[in-house]
Amino acid sequence: MVDQPVDADAAGENIAGEVPAEEPEAVTDDAVVHDDNVELERTIGLVGGLAIGIGTMIGAGIFVFPGLAAANAGLAATLSFAIGGLIALLVALPTSELATAMPRSGGGYYFISRGMGTAYGAIVGLGLWLGLMFASAFYLVGLGHYASAVFAELNVALPFSPVIGIGLLFGAALTALSIGGTENTAKIQNVVVGVLLVVLTGFLSYGVLDAVGVFGGGTVPEQFFSRGYFRVLTTAALVFTSYLGFAQVATVAGEIKQPGRNLPLAMVGSVLIVTVFYVVTIFVATSAFGAERLGEFGETAMVEVAREFLGLPGAVAILGAGLLATFSSANASILSASRAVYALSRDALLPRKASEVNLRYGTPHIALLSAGGPILVLVATGRVELLAEVASFLHLIMYGLMCIALLVLRRRNPEWYSPSYRVPGYPVVPAVGALASFGLIVFMQPASIAIGVVVMLASYLWYRYYAGDVTLKGDI
Amino acid sequence: MTDRLSILVPIRVLEGESIPEGVPELLAHAHVVLLGYHVIPEQTAAGQARMQFEDRATERLDEYEEMFEDAGATVERRLVFTHNGQKTIDRMIAEHDCMAVLVPNATGPVEDVLVPVRGAIGVDRLARVVASVFGNMDADVTLYHVADEDTTDDDIQTLLGGMADRLAEFGMDPSTIETRIDRDQNPLDAIVDVADAFDTVVMGETDPSLATFVFGMPADQVANRFLGPVFVVQRERAAADEDE
Repeated sequence: MVDQPVDADAAGENIAGEVPAEEPEAVTDDAVVHDDNVELERTIGLVGGLAIGIGTMIGAGIFVFPGLAAANAGLAATLSFAIGGLIALLVALPTSELATAMPRSGGGYYFISRGMGTAYGAIVGLGLWLGLMFASAFYLVGLGHYASAVFAELNVALPFSPVIGIGLLFGAALTALSIGGTENTAKIQNVVVGVLLVVLTGFLSYGVLDAVGVFGGGTVPEQFFSRGYFRVLTTAALVFTSYLGFAQVATVAGEIKQPGRNLPLAMVGSVLIVTVFYVVTIFVATSAFGAERLGEFGETAMVEVAREFLGLPGAVAILGAGLLATFSSANASILSASRAVYALSRDALLPRKASEVNLRYGTPHIALLSAGGPILVLVATGRVELLAEVASFLHLIMYGLMCIALLVLRRRNPEWYSPSYRVPGYPVVPAVGALASFGLIVFMQPASIAIGVVVMLASYLWYRYYAGDVTLKGDI
Repeated sequence: MTDRLSILVPIRVLEGESIPEGVPELLAHAHVVLLGYHVIPEQTAAGQARMQFEDRATERLDEYEEMFEDAGATVERRLVFTHNGQKTIDRMIAEHDCMAVLVPNATGPVEDVLVPVRGAIGVDRLARVVASVFGNMDADVTLYHVADEDTTDDDIQTLLGGMADRLAEFGMDPSTIETRIDRDQNPLDAIVDVADAFDTVVMGETDPSLATFVFGMPADQVANRFLGPVFVVQRERAAADEDE
């Protein structure tokens, strides 16, 4: 892939008379080239891409869900995580193909708006923006639980539960930091993910050895489907939030070096890595306590698991890791939400002003605030499971539509569509990916589904009202 | 003119960096690759910065391009929005096959050029840059070497003599070439001290090593401490010399 023209001409104007920004002339391994010799450098390598994917995902799956999942599905929660990983993989493969064909910022929104038209694009784009807010809020509440556990560990008795307060505090701090901070956050993210993987590998290795009886402990075998088969699927729907991160890699597709190689590797790689970690974590956690007791510990169950295995140092290590992981997940999601706002405003689906760059810090303050503000409101609800499911719902809609967009593009096979990576097992993999994504939604709580549908409807109405004349569909 | 060498002039175009006085004249005989770049924080998508700043950046680059062309240079220009300025500069060096990068600082008319020579490696490229940029100017070139204890005078004469011959081969008047040798000093400090009396410095890039990783490239350090313009001659890159 040396010079790949993008032949998707955006046209029309929104209610404020703004037109979509013109498409770039060419996309190379190192830059996105616009006419007049203006280039956008690609600066994120494979490690950076993996760090974005893993960093966004690992916070939820390991540090928030084990207790909740075990309470819902018993030992079979392991299977729930495996199902989630399988679905994520089925979507990550088609996403990789789309991303190598259109390595532009905006991720799923970009693929769907170019492949299926503005209406679908608007629903997905606005849904993605809101979905990322729900996800961030979920991570922040998780962070609040970990911070509260620190207080509990220090024997500081508080007259009230500090979970939501801390979540709000960190949410506000993160937003302020993203607006005013000029530090190299990507480097920090890489280090954080590296540290997390090392701590977890050490801890889980010990846990696995212990569980199989090397240290004399051994565990009482437990009935696998103690809560029935149906619960396995509802739990899979709940914990799917742990697999949202790979699509965030596609959100920054325009900034990834050698996208033809690095995008598929980063997306598929991060899904595979976190799936293994999740499954092993649940296995270790349930074998330490049994699902019943694990469920009683709630969001910070992993701290108790670590305490059981390694005493106080273990608990402290996992507490620290949990804080880091939820923090980095929340941070990555806020940044992705801001990228989503940019992609929408670039295409005139949101006011151009929304992606304006602050002159003092060079950061998109309006986009960041429009992500950070609503997040605080969501954090204030404190409903972990609801936040997680709505986030998953909105992402799953996008995942399903991405698979369909791939099927559409492959069938029409427009001239500009020449992905350097092609999904194996076409058309079965994308078809099953789409069915599985939509299928998982059925197993969510009615409240989550209702909120998700309202968000989609509102997105569609906004599109009709604000940008009904904008056409973004590629020439297919 | 095919014998003009490509010299990269990177300018942080939106941060008030402009073309300092004397620089266009300095590059009158070169093929200038004018790189306007803007480094943006991670939180910002490069395209986002482009939407907002492209016009202003283009306007300034137009102005700079004209300055170079008026002075006699041929100009090619690029505008890049990037999260990593160094990566962009490296890519430009490779894509345009640039022999040297100019660290642009103000200077008057150039009369004295200091050329620190470290060793035999890269002498050819160093000589080509000096000859092609200053060959048609009325400037004196001083070849400078800071020797350590083990180096004999003969070794140094061979080195600097060889360099002078090379310059003559490339068409420079031998009478404008002088040599100067100092001993037992920290090469870096010595170069910076001596450079005070000169208008500009042309020196080779060093191969990356642990020391350069910790302290930075010597050429960059000289550029930071010397107030005039510095040409950093690039070491030979594997793929860069194919179409010479």
